[in-house]
Amino acid sequence: MSVLSVPPVRAAPSRLVPPRLVRALWLELKRSPVPYLLPLLAVFFYLDPLRTADGYPPVWTLRASVIGRDVLYGFSVFAAGIAAWAGTREGRRKTADLLATTPRAAWSRLSVALAGTLCWLLLAFLACVAVLYVQTALQATWGGPPLWPVLVGAAAMAMATVIGFTCGAVFPGRFTAPLVALGIAVLFEIGFREAAAFRGALVKHPSPWAGNVPLGVRVHELLSLNTGTYALLSPMNGVPSVDAGVYYRVAPDLSIVQVMFMGGIAVAVFGALGLAAGLREPGSAGGWPVRLAAVVLVACGAAAAGTGFALAGTAQPDAVAGGWEIPALHSAASDQPINAAPDCTSAGGFQVCVDPALGFDLRSVAAELDPEAAEIAGLPGAPVRAAEISSTNGWKAGIYGNPPVFEFNTDHADTVNTEFDGAPNLEGWQTELRQGLLDAFLAGPSPAAGLDPAQQAVRDALLAGAGAQLAQESYPPPLLPAAVAAAARRFEALPAGTRHAWLAAHLAALRAGKITLAQLP
Amino acid sequence: MNVEMRDTRRSFGKNRAVAGVDLQLGTGVFGLLGPNGAGKTSLLRMLATVLPPTSGEIRLLGRDPRGAAARREIRRRLGYLPQSLGYYPSFTVVEFIEYFALLKEMPSSAVPAAVAAAVERVDLGAKARAKLRTLSGGMLRRVGIAQAIVNNPDLLLLDEPTAGLDPEQRVHFRRLLRSLGGNSTVVVSTHLVEDVGTACSEVALMSAGKVVFRGTPDELTARGAGHEVGDAPLERGYSAVLAEARS
Amino acid sequence: MTAADVLKPAGFPGAPTGMAGRVPAGTRLAWLYLRTRGVPAGIVTLAVCGVLLRAALHWKSSSDPQQFPMIVEAGAAAVIAVTTHGPFGEVERATGRWLPVMRLLAAAGMCGLAILALQLGVAGESLNEGILVLARNVIGFAGLGLACSLFTGGLVAWVLPLGYMAFCQYALSEAWNAPWTWPARPPGDRGGWIAATAVLAVALLAYTLRGPRTRLSDNP
Repeated sequence: MSVLSVPPVRAAPSRLVPPRLVRALWLELKRSPVPYLLPLLAVFFYLDPLRTADGYPPVWTLRASVIGRDVLYGFSVFAAGIAAWAGTREGRRKTADLLATTPRAAWSRLSVALAGTLCWLLLAFLACVAVLYVQTALQATWGGPPLWPVLVGAAAMAMATVIGFTCGAVFPGRFTAPLVALGIAVLFEIGFREAAAFRGALVKHPSPWAGNVPLGVRVHELLSLNTGTYALLSPMNGVPSVDAGVYYRVAPDLSIVQVMFMGGIAVAVFGALGLAAGLREPGSAGGWPVRLAAVVLVACGAAAAGTGFALAGTAQPDAVAGGWEIPALHSAASDQPINAAPDCTSAGGFQVCVDPALGFDLRSVAAELDPEAAEIAGLPGAPVRAAEISSTNGWKAGIYGNPPVFEFNTDHADTVNTEFDGAPNLEGWQTELRQGLLDAFLAGPSPAAGLDPAQQAVRDALLAGAGAQLAQESYPPPLLPAAVAAAARRFEALPAGTRHAWLAAHLAALRAGKITLAQLP
Repeated sequence: MNVEMRDTRRSFGKNRAVAGVDLQLGTGVFGLLGPNGAGKTSLLRMLATVLPPTSGEIRLLGRDPRGAAARREIRRRLGYLPQSLGYYPSFTVVEFIEYFALLKEMPSSAVPAAVAAAVERVDLGAKARAKLRTLSGGMLRRVGIAQAIVNNPDLLLLDEPTAGLDPEQRVHFRRLLRSLGGNSTVVVSTHLVEDVGTACSEVALMSAGKVVFRGTPDELTARGAGHEVGDAPLERGYSAVLAEARS
Repeated sequence: MTAADVLKPAGFPGAPTGMAGRVPAGTRLAWLYLRTRGVPAGIVTLAVCGVLLRAALHWKSSSDPQQFPMIVEAGAAAVIAVTTHGPFGEVERATGRWLPVMRLLAAAGMCGLAILALQLGVAGESLNEGILVLARNVIGFAGLGLACSLFTGGLVAWVLPLGYMAFCQYALSEAWNAPWTWPARPPGDRGGWIAATAVLAVALLAYTLRGPRTRLSDNP
């Protein structure tokens, strides 16, 4: 076979011929080492991020949080390592001398190789995001895919890739690739730890997306922790609350500064690659214009990263919509509530309404509340329906309005633990939801003080009467005293009608704290 | 003149690799002979603009390679095959040559035809789509030659181009050299005196960083008359000149 | 310099001139072998890993204390993995019987040095459950690196230890129990020890006998 027998490229006058750089990029894409790594990335994606996301309720913001916390960790480590490997190519293959005789500047040549590597890695990342989003789209009941987590992730991938490639090109040794991968893993772990430490210092909830920082907490009290700004810039977020992005849009302020910071670093390191390539090949073509361009890129990248860092330092809790706002970037539009008609059970009986984004949960919420509502139906102050509200403004669950409505939120009935990594705790959620209704019903004038022993006993008896187990040992509140448990069993043993009648007669006194355990039937 | 060197020197620390060379070369094939360590590769690398001289003047293709713009223009019209050729094992023959054609800033539309022509000229048409890791040493050398000639260079520098080639391929290669020398300046550094004898119109012999002989192959042969070291007339001339330079 | 000078009995680099002693051929061979594998630089790198581990213990965290040490242990194993690469390709294999012996001793020695370097780095600090967990993890990750080198060659053999580390980070957060997730297992867990040791033993044997993958293109 002769090369002349291969059908030649028919360069007809009207056909566009790809520019040189595009052709060179095509070669790099064809021969990149990244595709060999894709099976490993696919396995990692399935075992960690995809399974983690599958365990979360199908709320877009919640599922998208996996991108920053789980996908990026593994992908960035390998992106940096394989990019460093690609960067060492000229040194490993001893082509530097030969390539130095070509007219293109070394930076230009290396940029093409870098672009080829980056294209593959971004493609892999976006493919995984697509799988995640398609899975969510098939399950979610409202909303659409958030794009800012994807942009932040792409910026992080680009940063890791450029850093890795530059290290490989400048230090083409055998230890460069594993050390770069290790370094990126360490950087992400530091960001993860600082974010965890930062959030651990928040007064109420560990997740700033829930916005449960009490109003009035001054920002400097939080950001004076030396991890504050770094924590905000880290893409390794905590698990947001279930209703993040449901009642109010998630402000893109933090995402913008993260993209600025990481994108700036990527640009600056890319410029440094140009300077390093020029130093390595003193006779390299290009001369001062190339060096000037490299210096400009370094300066612009550093400026962008520095600006992002400075802006992150001005972040303050968003008292309205939750999360964080950065005054210089904040738009009032993101503080407007999202108007969406709630999903409700049928109007007959005890109606339960939830936000449409949480509509997947409607039946189970109704299933938890209906028995408790039936136990207290018709009693003074008993709610006629239940409605879910936003958790972002610190609103406490309770019974409000006339006619009385039990208002609850996902903070009160959270499907994820307050642990940083998050894990569903369905049993805890069920217990909290039922108790929440009864606590609000039985609470006296000072609900923050909690229930007194007689109120606790009545609550637990009603829970048991509705088929729920009495308060568990391992879940707050702590073990009930034996006397309270005994009184609860006594009260629960009564026929439902008798319980109901007693409550009708003594509810006001019970709420006022005037009933003792001994006075319970 | 495509190559002009005046008192060009290159030192590596105390080692004077090139110790004052004057050369003017026009079109044709020019052979560079010499023992190991004579400075041939250093000289070639200076001509390839990858090694700046320590002192002296060099002009290539009418330009001073010290200027960035001039250097870039020289490299567009330059072909270089180093003694030790690095390559990318996963590239195919065509891809490797195309890569260098693109780096040499050949017009995009001309690249495919130029690559095909270069592959044919080194007789690798049957292996055009083969990956480089599957090729023998001699074939890899021919790939190296192909990338050096893909842009029809005005200045072609070849360091040990026939290393690893079988005799038939060496004959083919010498024919190629002669055809290239019609329009370009070709400098061939080699240990094989028969390459010089059959392909080169002029030859220089280096020893200890200096050019100790310059002339035609016949003149070099004539210098070997009466000298006993060497199996062929040109070899005897080579040995005789070296012995004279060292004495 | 003449050939006679070269053939004089040589001491170690930097040996004082006039030194009459011969260095045993085996020692000389071992030293040259280690240099070709980049082991001296690898040892320095392991020392840096030890320092990194020490620094990491000072960072406050609410996450699992085993997470960060696991990263550094995998990094140390990745360093061991890339020292399996030799620059000579097939040329080296067409020699006598000493190559497998040196492979075995170098790999085992690097494992020991990695454990020592990391432990020295954290001397005086509280490292989760101490040297046992560190040793077990390094052993297991290094085994993965040696196994990977059989298929990918030494230079890319770092991929499997670091990939497995990323997976085990998830296993740690999920409190998995399988013995093959040994980095996530408690220190006294026998199954984890068996798994890690078995991985190293099998990989070390295969690596000793076959060596890392080489190709024609690896020949200089």
